[in-house]
Amino acid sequence: MELLVFVCALSLVYFLFMIWKWVDAERDGVCYILDYQCHKPTDDRMLDTETCGEIIKRSKNLGLHEYKFLLKAIVSSGIGEQTYAPRIMLSGEQDKPTLLDGILEMDEVFEDSIGKLLCRSGITPMEIDVLVINVAMLSTVPSLAARIINRYKMRDDIKVFNLTAMGCSASVISIDIVRNLFKTYRNLFALVVTSESLGPNWYSGNQRSMILPNCLFRSGGCAILLTNKRAMKHRAMFKLKCLVRTHHGARDESYNCCMQKEDDQGNLGIYLGKTLPKAATRALVHNLREIAPKILPARELLRFMVMLIVQKMRRSSSNIKSTGGTKAAVNFKTCVDHFCIHTGGKAVIDGIGMSLNLSEYDLEPVRMTLHRFGNTSASSLWYVLGYMEAKKRLKRGDYVLMLSLGAGFKCNSCLWEVMKDLRDGNVWKDCIDGYPPESLANPFMEKYSWINQEHDASTFKFPDQ
Amino acid sequence: MPPSSPNFSSSVKLKYVKLGYQYLVNHILTLTLIPIMAAVLIEVLRMGPLEILNLWRSLNFDLVQILCCSFLIIFVATVYFKSKPRTIFLVDYACFKPPNTCRVPFATFMEHSRLILKDKPKSVEFQMRILERSGLGEETCLPPAIHYIPPTPTMEAARGEAELVIFSAMDSLLEKTGLKPKDIDILIVNCSLFSPTPSLSAMVINKYKLRSNIKSFNLSGMGCSAGLISVDLARDLLQVHPNSNAVIVSTEIITPNYYQGNERAMLLPNCLFRMGGAAILLSNRTSERRRAKYRLVHVVRTHKGADDKAFRCVFEEEDKEGNVGISLQKDLMAIAGEALKSNITTIGPLVLPASEQLLFLLTLIGRKIFNPKWKPYIPDFKQAFEHFCIHAGGRAVIDELQKNLQLSAEHVEASRMTLHRFGNTSSSSLWYELSYIESKARMRRGDRVWQIAFGSGFKCNSAVWKCNRTIKSPSDGPWADCIDRYPVYIPEVVKL
Repeated sequence: MELLVFVCALSLVYFLFMIWKWVDAERDGVCYILDYQCHKPTDDRMLDTETCGEIIKRSKNLGLHEYKFLLKAIVSSGIGEQTYAPRIMLSGEQDKPTLLDGILEMDEVFEDSIGKLLCRSGITPMEIDVLVINVAMLSTVPSLAARIINRYKMRDDIKVFNLTAMGCSASVISIDIVRNLFKTYRNLFALVVTSESLGPNWYSGNQRSMILPNCLFRSGGCAILLTNKRAMKHRAMFKLKCLVRTHHGARDESYNCCMQKEDDQGNLGIYLGKTLPKAATRALVHNLREIAPKILPARELLRFMVMLIVQKMRRSSSNIKSTGGTKAAVNFKTCVDHFCIHTGGKAVIDGIGMSLNLSEYDLEPVRMTLHRFGNTSASSLWYVLGYMEAKKRLKRGDYVLMLSLGAGFKCNSCLWEVMKDLRDGNVWKDCIDGYPPESLANPFMEKYSWINQEHDASTFKFPDQ
Repeated sequence: MPPSSPNFSSSVKLKYVKLGYQYLVNHILTLTLIPIMAAVLIEVLRMGPLEILNLWRSLNFDLVQILCCSFLIIFVATVYFKSKPRTIFLVDYACFKPPNTCRVPFATFMEHSRLILKDKPKSVEFQMRILERSGLGEETCLPPAIHYIPPTPTMEAARGEAELVIFSAMDSLLEKTGLKPKDIDILIVNCSLFSPTPSLSAMVINKYKLRSNIKSFNLSGMGCSAGLISVDLARDLLQVHPNSNAVIVSTEIITPNYYQGNERAMLLPNCLFRMGGAAILLSNRTSERRRAKYRLVHVVRTHKGADDKAFRCVFEEEDKEGNVGISLQKDLMAIAGEALKSNITTIGPLVLPASEQLLFLLTLIGRKIFNPKWKPYIPDFKQAFEHFCIHAGGRAVIDELQKNLQLSAEHVEASRMTLHRFGNTSSSSLWYELSYIESKARMRRGDRVWQIAFGSGFKCNSAVWKCNRTIKSPSDGPWADCIDRYPVYIPEVVKL
């Protein structure tokens, strides 16, 4: 009789424990991406070598030295012929941007990405419960978020957040807000819109450290629809597994390496310091160190710990400084199938590829995105994701790691699980067959290499064609 | 529309009837329970102690039943306690006190105005008329860069103002609460019109060397109600992260946004907006329970952006000459009233006592079924709150809200005096008003405070706080040196 009572009690405890785990999981909530739509500007905004040259010629403040510097920067940038620029750059008015230009630039992005997204997903604007916008360099009254609410006539009890100035890593921060809201409230639809405002932020001076953003940043944007309704599981594309944010603002050299300020002539621009690569690497390493225990399988963690101990023992026993031999490195490929890296520039991609030991196959989506769309700031991650999708690389059960770096200095990363085989091309539909191309070199070198032969800055003048 | 006031004697009788009705409805549960408890007590006394003992002995439990019951009770209790939303405490807050050197008395403002707009005397006169009727005093402050003639709004000057305001407020907060910078888990900075790269939140992280896994957010463009939006975000984050501290910095940086043209609708903000900022510490740690000043009860947000007129009524744009400024439309008050009504509809059922809600429901039913000519019943919010903090957006806003909510002069005193002493400091004005009420030693334990703010978009956000402990008049703070002079009488028009 005693045994029966005991067994009953035990099974009851187990049963209650299972219910408890289920309640806890329910409480934690899920975060699904239902759909996303990147922005593809119209073809009349394409920036090829010709147009690029025209814009540079038009700048009154640039001289021979700056041209040489720009040539070197653009040739090695990895950016191709089909990237998009804001209208104001093409019309020649880039030195006198108005607030209205900036707002209209954003309107185009919103119209295209949000319009297509809502149309395809069948969700009406009235069903959106959370709206998060991040556009780093444009801050208007009323906010861009309010502008979207007005355009699409959303509900009046919507939770809206307008983030600015958070740099190229802001889209992961927006996902962080949405994830936290999903844990507190049930059955929500969230719309995250990420973009960058380039028109009003053109630098019209000639400081080398501030001229680079002019060449590297391009127009782009993305709208992402998320939900935590478990019923939508069959329609979800991705599920969020993990998100880690690292902020190195406490270090002065990380904070000061990327700053918006005025140069000596009073022109406003973004200053990129020489300590930028080091600050970026440090932030990235710290972030990876934090996310590794959360995502790596136990086997890989164990292997890494064993190797570390062996290396320490070897070093202490032989008493030699470790000149040769490979350092114990974590192999992220054991848990991550695809890497979505922010297209900060060729140097950034090379650097990250080396530290994570990634092959050319892994880096192909990032390089191709940089080539086709340029550095679209916070939305670049989603273009890279679109490439992977268009190349049919994303299969159910795969894991995608998104890594982004931003001013401050921040490194944010998140891990997504692919919920079903993805086949849609998004913005890459019409050009995916041409990728990867034979060569990534842009014709800038052929066209303008004669500049390198010029030496006298005072008598230099562009030959009229 | 306010209800018509009957004559004196019948109004006294009406007052007692109303009081009796309120007491009856608000305590209905207790009043119904009393007869039931009395009946049980009589029955128990009638049965006598011996019979009760027999009753107890006749109950027959065995081990399994006891085990099941106790597990069930423990399980249900744990689930209940775990699923309750965490209590959010406002531990303390600090407001920025501008230095005297930044003061802009009327004479200085008008002199500047005449020099800058020297070929536009009509605009100067317009500004003078606004200033006369604004309700501002002589001690409001503008940042140093704006004191130059003409003003020099460079990015460096704007950063300087941001550092002055934010760091002063943060230093004051850290000193008051004894908080270590390494203990801050969440940082939210809201500043509508200035967002440099890296963000103001990165600037704070850099100055105070905050942790690298801090969750920081930089909200902007959300207007004068952004402070409450930050509180809402902090609350949602604190629900998910246990044992955390959240610091909110609310400010408005004026330097880059001083309008330098002469369009009238855009000159208005120049006359009203002034320098100010506040830093607030929120926490969900149970150890703060004793020390905290307030407990957050509700935050309600209403966004009227879907309506085109509401969207356009506060709009930043360029005038014909290319100067950027914020234009305020003439229908601002009407739209504010509409937004307030929406907000009240949501917050009313959450905070009003049952008596008011019943009256409202009855009049609503009556109007729909019996006679549409019955006047709509405006619930008496004085029943639900002891203190009101209305965003000091301008004299007209405070007047309008006082009329709509039927508040007395004492209720809106905090708002009017803040407008007089500090001007419209945008999102931080609510905190100056709260500080005023505390400085006047009016805040008692259990008092409920309603903070209402309007913002561009058009938004109306409100927050309800409950006072956790009786607060003694603080010895520091923005009102410390001048609270004895207040309240002052603010005339309709100050002759300049």
